Amino acid sequence: MSQGLDIDHLAKLARLNLTPDEKKLYTQQLSQVLTYFEALAKADLPPTADVAMVVDESALRSDEPGKPLGAEAVTKIAPASHDGQISVPRVVDDES
Amino acid sequence: MAQEIYQLSATEISQRLAKGELTSRALVEALMKRYHALNKKVGAFTHLDEADVLAQADASDARRKAGKILGPLDGIPVGIKDNIAVKGQPLTCSSKMLAPLVSPYDAHVIESLRAAGAILYGRLNMDEFAMGSSTENSAVQKTYNPWDLARIPGGSSGGSAAALSAGLVPLALGSDTGGSIRQPASHCGIIGLKPTYGLISRYGLVAFASSLDQIGPMARTIDDCVLLLNALSSPDARDMTCFDKNHRKQLPEVAAKSLRIGVPKGVLGKGVGAEVAAATQAAIDFYKSQGCTIIEVDLPSSDLAVPTYYVVATAEASSNLARYDGVRYGHRSANAKTPIEMMTNSRSEGFGPEVKRRILLGTFVLSAGYADAYYVRALRARSKIRAEHLAALEKVDMLLTPTVPTPAFKAGEKVSDPLQLYLEDIFTIPANLAGLPALSVPCGKSGHLPVGFHLVGAPLSENKLLAAARLFEAAHGFANQLPTL
Amino acid sequence: MSNAEWEVVIGLEVHVQLHTRAKVFASAPWGFGQEPNEQVDPVVLGLPGTLPVVNREAVEKAILFGLVVGAEIPAQCAWDRKNYFYPDNPKNYQLTQKDFPVTMGGKVEIELPGASRNVQGEHKFIRLHHAHLEEDVGKLSHSGSGSLVDYNRAGVPLLEIVSEPDLRSAGEAAAFLNALVMMLTQAGVADCDMEKGQLRCDANVSIRRRGETKLGTRSETKNLNSISGVRDCIIYETARQIRELEAGRAIVQETRGWNAENGRGYVLRDKEDAHDYRYFPDPDIPTLKISRETVQRLQKQVPESPYARQQRYIEKLNVPYTAASVLIAQQDLAQWFEAAVAAHPTNAAGIANLVVNDLLRELSASSGAAEGADIAKVSLASCRIQPAHLGALVKLTDEGTISKQQAKEVFSEMFQSGQSPVQIVESKGLKQNSDTGELEKIIQEVIADPSVAKSIAEYRAGNEKAINALKGPIMKRTQGKANPVLIDQLLRKALG
Repeated sequence: MSQGLDIDHLAKLARLNLTPDEKKLYTQQLSQVLTYFEALAKADLPPTADVAMVVDESALRSDEPGKPLGAEAVTKIAPASHDGQISVPRVVDDES
Repeated sequence: MAQEIYQLSATEISQRLAKGELTSRALVEALMKRYHALNKKVGAFTHLDEADVLAQADASDARRKAGKILGPLDGIPVGIKDNIAVKGQPLTCSSKMLAPLVSPYDAHVIESLRAAGAILYGRLNMDEFAMGSSTENSAVQKTYNPWDLARIPGGSSGGSAAALSAGLVPLALGSDTGGSIRQPASHCGIIGLKPTYGLISRYGLVAFASSLDQIGPMARTIDDCVLLLNALSSPDARDMTCFDKNHRKQLPEVAAKSLRIGVPKGVLGKGVGAEVAAATQAAIDFYKSQGCTIIEVDLPSSDLAVPTYYVVATAEASSNLARYDGVRYGHRSANAKTPIEMMTNSRSEGFGPEVKRRILLGTFVLSAGYADAYYVRALRARSKIRAEHLAALEKVDMLLTPTVPTPAFKAGEKVSDPLQLYLEDIFTIPANLAGLPALSVPCGKSGHLPVGFHLVGAPLSENKLLAAARLFEAAHGFANQLPTL
Repeated sequence: MSNAEWEVVIGLEVHVQLHTRAKVFASAPWGFGQEPNEQVDPVVLGLPGTLPVVNREAVEKAILFGLVVGAEIPAQCAWDRKNYFYPDNPKNYQLTQKDFPVTMGGKVEIELPGASRNVQGEHKFIRLHHAHLEEDVGKLSHSGSGSLVDYNRAGVPLLEIVSEPDLRSAGEAAAFLNALVMMLTQAGVADCDMEKGQLRCDANVSIRRRGETKLGTRSETKNLNSISGVRDCIIYETARQIRELEAGRAIVQETRGWNAENGRGYVLRDKEDAHDYRYFPDPDIPTLKISRETVQRLQKQVPESPYARQQRYIEKLNVPYTAASVLIAQQDLAQWFEAAVAAHPTNAAGIANLVVNDLLRELSASSGAAEGADIAKVSLASCRIQPAHLGALVKLTDEGTISKQQAKEVFSEMFQSGQSPVQIVESKGLKQNSDTGELEKIIQEVIADPSVAKSIAEYRAGNEKAINALKGPIMKRTQGKANPVLIDQLLRKALG
């Protein structure tokens, strides 16, 4: 009873590696949670959700540039950097 | 009975500092002594820079000597939950994913506390990324309930609650998404307030679920809670969901004799422990004895609250936690051949099981083919829950329920059943969904374990809730009670 | 390249970096030429606990664009999250507008090439679906065994302009982009410097049989960064799809890239999973109310549309099409031209001719730049000639005070020194000699010269051109100052 839970697909979308045991455990645990969610499916609900919060233009920010962190601070907290840029493994073309 | 320094409330400390009967340094030294004695046992703090807090204390004493104190909080330590950014301090959210991170910026509330002269005192343990109700999901260490060290303190602000309850600090910041301030406050016999959504800026609070998260004050007395709340709530243009200065006016307070308290139908019924129900009933009876009107209210969509919360919260969390990928900061996995592999490995190594579970669930409820059945429906349910609460709060000034159905459970008792843990939040969740202020107040014991009752008000009714709580506090001895450790 | 059997249908998604000083959801500055990661703040970097705040200028520039194209500006707009993982995407979601964009509808007037360079081509309106405001991502570069990320570009405001599939050729697509660039730059919404990557385009191309109303399966080619690239890609893609269909194969809906160097498209790896962006409303940015007062205020900033201006030049000022089309391409130039015309309104065509030929030539030569869109912007500001003076120069010529030849000399001097034409004519003593009496005397002297007797005879015999042989000596004796028109008149009179 997995209610459409494709754990491999979800793990890929969420960029998580799961061991076979984890896949089994999480599928089972999430299925339980989803069963609990069935109350939502059956409930009588208003046709649309309310807009959470509305603001007017006074909430917008003026176009004044603020102080940047500086490349030094950025590379200081980065796990790997080179000449002010953040290093990552080689991007394979067309990867996403 | 002469009180030890660590037993003093923040209000008392403030008075003694003002009178010159106490210095900030003496205060901090006393607290650090207790920290050395107890933190290993209780596990509240994950980090405390002793040189730094002493320097802050000295600076406060110097200001005081020069007649230049910054306000009533000057020189008073405030423990900070490890998901609130303090420049130069770790910002780990008790997760391996952020273990290496030292924050390069201050949260709005931290700027406010600095401006008030408060002492930023250490980093407090929590459930990883605020996901949990027991602090057992911390990747750093365990935290125990000072009232029973074999039990959990609650979560996710378990470190904050335990630190207050153990007398390690007089004030603490917590964060609350589904009950993470109130539930541990209840389990540890202290006070915790989740403010109206939008009252306190979230700039610098590591996001779990953006539309539900709020920072809030935790303390041992109502006066202390107010002291801290006033320092934290101010407008902030860096958070578009934070009320601007024209939209912060509190609702007027109501005299006790005119107070109408709503008790939701069946709230003391099934699932609630007998002693919890009794303590809550006693609180209801107390208010009745003060001349308040007790009214039964019907909130028929209550059974939708937990599923709605878990769909919305996990959906937002799955997106908020996407930024943790080892590229720009935090834990980065070694030996990956491509960036995507590196990001995937880093996340898999950095996140604990509960975080992964919630990310997967959140990804599912937003995914193509399921978003309409889950996420969209949950938003509609949320509107219904909010509307019901607002309608009820027109007829009553506040709702009263237990904070948690049962008292603190034993460590390890519920780790294998996530759903069980989710149900801990059944009373606290609606206030987050509806954006309403909510307060947990100690009201008795279940055996030796603290029980708290829970007040929920209309938006911007913090003063009303605090006044009602103060009424209760004055008549009962639960304020500032510390267990023997 | 659609032949009689097939029709190509094209829709474009144009990403334009808006002209602001700070980024769209963060207050970090942005601009070209900075060292890597110097335009990054905690919000841009996606540090834990940071939140977006929308830049008012970015919103207003987006609204202004909407007004320029006659779009509807809704009462409210909102932002959504587009979730996907990539190292150049700091939050691993992009803030964009999916359901409630800042402008809806609108249309862009385009001009297709005419039968020849001097002939105005057909005009057509291309409808827009909408335009929305989103953020740009960082820049990845590759070096040997690794890649590097610079987040300076992350968070830059992007206006994504989405057209309806109304375009029917590569030429139309190019015309659409040209028109868009004109409108965006002239309204001050964006600088559109494609060399700096400020305008990029995705092209959706599909083929169908002529007469068919249903759309064929389309391919999307992403990140085209020049108008010629868009044109070439569409031609390539049209040919490729026709080839596929004629071979009996179906078109696969796919995302493609364009290699400008070898002029070929290629398939980007099937991003099937990436297509599930799990859009949901961003909970950190409340829905924004757009006041009608703001819309009215911005409406006043909408400049004259380039093609309306072109029509006005052609119909009301009698400027030929070729000159008009050059003038309207750069707003500064058009305004300069109009200021010159204000000084001498009766010969706008003459002024236009001087501006698009002589002035542009001198400006481009002195700036050292190749002719192109930027010279007027760069050089007009430092051009020494004042517009009113150019008008005055044409007036002097029209009145016959100086000859056309002399005018060129005066113009050069004006360009070098910035003096007025009247001053230059005075100081160089260039005033044409229009003294009839003196001229008649000189003419008599020249006619009497035996060396021109043969020419005189030929002229009297009917050879019109022979008269020119006399003009040279006459001009010489007047030191080139005689009014040629007058010379011609008097000479013919004298010769009978």
